[in-house]
Amino acid sequence: MAAELKNISEIRRHFHRNEDPIYFISATNFNLLGLDEWCKNFKYISYIDCYGGKHPNTFVPSEQPHAEFQSIEDINNYLLQHKEVIDLIKRRGGKPKFVFLMFDEETERLSKELGADVWFPKAKLRQKMDNKIETVRIGNKAGVPSVPNTLSVVESYKHLNEICDKAGLGHDLVLQSAYGDSGHTTFFIKSEADFRRHEHEIIGEGEIKIMKRIDCRGSAIEACATKEGTIVGPLMTELVGFKELTPYRGGWCGNEIFSTAFPPKVRQKARELTFKFGEQLRKEGYRGYFELDFLIDKKTGDIWLGELNPRITGASSMTNHAAFAHADAPLFLFHLLEFSKKKFKLDIKELNDRWADPKMIDSWSQMVIKHTDDTVDIASDVPETGIYRMDEDGNVDFNRFDYHRRAVESENEAFFLRILQPGDYRYEGADIGILVTRGRSMTNGFKLTERGKRWIHGIKAGVHGRPMPTAEAGPALADPAFKIM
Amino acid sequence: MQLNWRAISEDHPGPKWAGLFRHYWPDYHRWWAREGAEARPGYLDSRKALRAHMPEMVPLYDQLVELAGGTDHAARFLSFYCPPPYLSACSQAIWPGKEPVLVRNYDYSPKAFDSLTLRTNWQGRAVMGTSDGLWGLVDGINDAGLALSLTFGGRRVVGDGFGVPLILRYVLQTCETTAEAGRVLARVPTHMSYNVTVIDAQRKFLTALMAPDRKTIITHQAVATNHQERVEWASHARFTATVERERYLLQRLTLHVESKEKFIKAFLRPPLYSSRFDQGFGTIYTAVLRPRQRQMELRWPHASWPLDLHDFREDTRVIYTPEGDAATE
Repeated sequence: MAAELKNISEIRRHFHRNEDPIYFISATNFNLLGLDEWCKNFKYISYIDCYGGKHPNTFVPSEQPHAEFQSIEDINNYLLQHKEVIDLIKRRGGKPKFVFLMFDEETERLSKELGADVWFPKAKLRQKMDNKIETVRIGNKAGVPSVPNTLSVVESYKHLNEICDKAGLGHDLVLQSAYGDSGHTTFFIKSEADFRRHEHEIIGEGEIKIMKRIDCRGSAIEACATKEGTIVGPLMTELVGFKELTPYRGGWCGNEIFSTAFPPKVRQKARELTFKFGEQLRKEGYRGYFELDFLIDKKTGDIWLGELNPRITGASSMTNHAAFAHADAPLFLFHLLEFSKKKFKLDIKELNDRWADPKMIDSWSQMVIKHTDDTVDIASDVPETGIYRMDEDGNVDFNRFDYHRRAVESENEAFFLRILQPGDYRYEGADIGILVTRGRSMTNGFKLTERGKRWIHGIKAGVHGRPMPTAEAGPALADPAFKIM
Repeated sequence: MQLNWRAISEDHPGPKWAGLFRHYWPDYHRWWAREGAEARPGYLDSRKALRAHMPEMVPLYDQLVELAGGTDHAARFLSFYCPPPYLSACSQAIWPGKEPVLVRNYDYSPKAFDSLTLRTNWQGRAVMGTSDGLWGLVDGINDAGLALSLTFGGRRVVGDGFGVPLILRYVLQTCETTAEAGRVLARVPTHMSYNVTVIDAQRKFLTALMAPDRKTIITHQAVATNHQERVEWASHARFTATVERERYLLQRLTLHVESKEKFIKAFLRPPLYSSRFDQGFGTIYTAVLRPRQRQMELRWPHASWPLDLHDFREDTRVIYTPEGDAATE
């Protein structure tokens, strides 16, 4: 093993000269977009080709018959068994390293078969950490408080009310089951009708986290737990539940990064709590990249732990493209460093202080655009990936192909990454694509800006579908001559 | 294809049922004996299995066997014990509103379908539902306000047990609440994998994931399509779009506050409504079961047929299913 890496410059050089083949295997390469330019021999293996074959480091195997995917893990396990993927990995040689957005024990088994190392903590440990109930426990140990809550099995609406009365939580509630993405396993419950809509996701699902509903802003922060300490990225706003973007109430639909996103005190507090949480994660045996959601009380500014994602996330692209990431190195590079077994020394405090400096942060926003209408059809046209330009009247037009989001020159331009492919089913909740703009997409009051709305409209106007073919069974009147028996 | 659908009511096993048996028996006999009669359990074992798992049904069974002419093959067929394997597709879900309502699509080949709604008052319990195999049911409701329906569980395993239509009949003959039904479904062996959703007049519901090779799992699922906890038979799942249908139904439950009518109508259009009739998985009908009213309704894209357990009218309908439409890619 070569000499210890002593500073950022040496770490950067190390990755620019990296010889290990490293692969990000996932449905799309969105989460780690641009990382291939920091790390030599870094390739993406994706299921969906967002670039129409034009991204030099993205490999998309031809579609093979496969089982219906029920999760991202399923997609990864499909990719790892695909002959074209295996051929690529073998052909490129070396000892492959895999990183994923999601993986399970089957992924680990397949990776081992391919002689690859998974550069993440074990699936079993990750899954344990991902459990929302476990998150509360870790937070409590680290001194990072969660919203007033209680954990209980729920048998009925009446039972829920009894639990809440006992815990003093009131009856305006947010419930979460142990696992799941926001918007899918987060339920807002104020009445029996609300409960009925979600009871199949609550009853029989084991312990449920029952929280008092607070009037808050969502925020996200990413960090990386390394042997030298936890490196903390900037606090981002979250776009939540905008009906132009997502059909899921309370569902995540984007982020913004800008230096004054929250008051300095809140930002500082969030950084401290994240650092503490990271240090506790290390004690629990976890290391590497993770993300925390903080809920910030609108009135008091109190800051509460929302959830932990022990992985990269949909916000990782924001963290890894902000100015500080270009000035030092993207946060994910430290994740790779931590797993590379390379000896390194890093003054974490100095780095964290520098990243806390508002000057290190430029302003970006991303919006994840889903199909929000209650219709099902087959997509015929979807705007392609590239740079779009908005004219003075608010019309949005394709300007040029690019896969660099930093190629966006001004607030009149945006980078759109196409996810929905022509020929795919377009159903309520289907991802159309991700739009990245410079500047903000929300007002200070956390509403979508007019400009943001125009961008969404402009992209959506380019999406068309053709109806699903349907046959009709038309009953006619009974034939009177038809005899029973 | 033309389906001559009948709604028939007969309080006690009698001439109407005997007539139905005569009508359907040649086809059923061919199907039942297609691997040779020796591939099916003998009469003694069949009746013994019934006695062991559904003792309350034995007198009724004996009576029906008698009406069917008392032959060995008919008796073995009517026991529903280890019949030849059969598949279907189907989707079912419980409406999230206040009233208990179970809606289901029956996706199957019109060629192998009885097109028969049967109302009976056997053993003093009024039951109506969609008939299969002459005394089995693929969905139905009883006078205690218990309703249920089945979907195929998407697994190829075949084992020792009963054809699920008889299990549904048994539940409606002997149970009044979802809790009771759950206990029966957990206990009676099935010969293939099925998801049975049950709802009662109190709006208590469950979905039993039944299988011949593992213990029945009682869940609080409000939706069932054609897989159990995970997809195991990939080609069937892909072909019937079971994952998409499930996802679509779950979206309906949680994203929309919608009227019963709107919820029901969703079953009459894609992706729930299937037109793959030529491949055996077309939506033959949509059934709406209303336990509190003791009513059910059959629906097609342009018509409906209401049926009331306590005001049941015998009638017929001619249903035309679209033919050979393989364009549903």
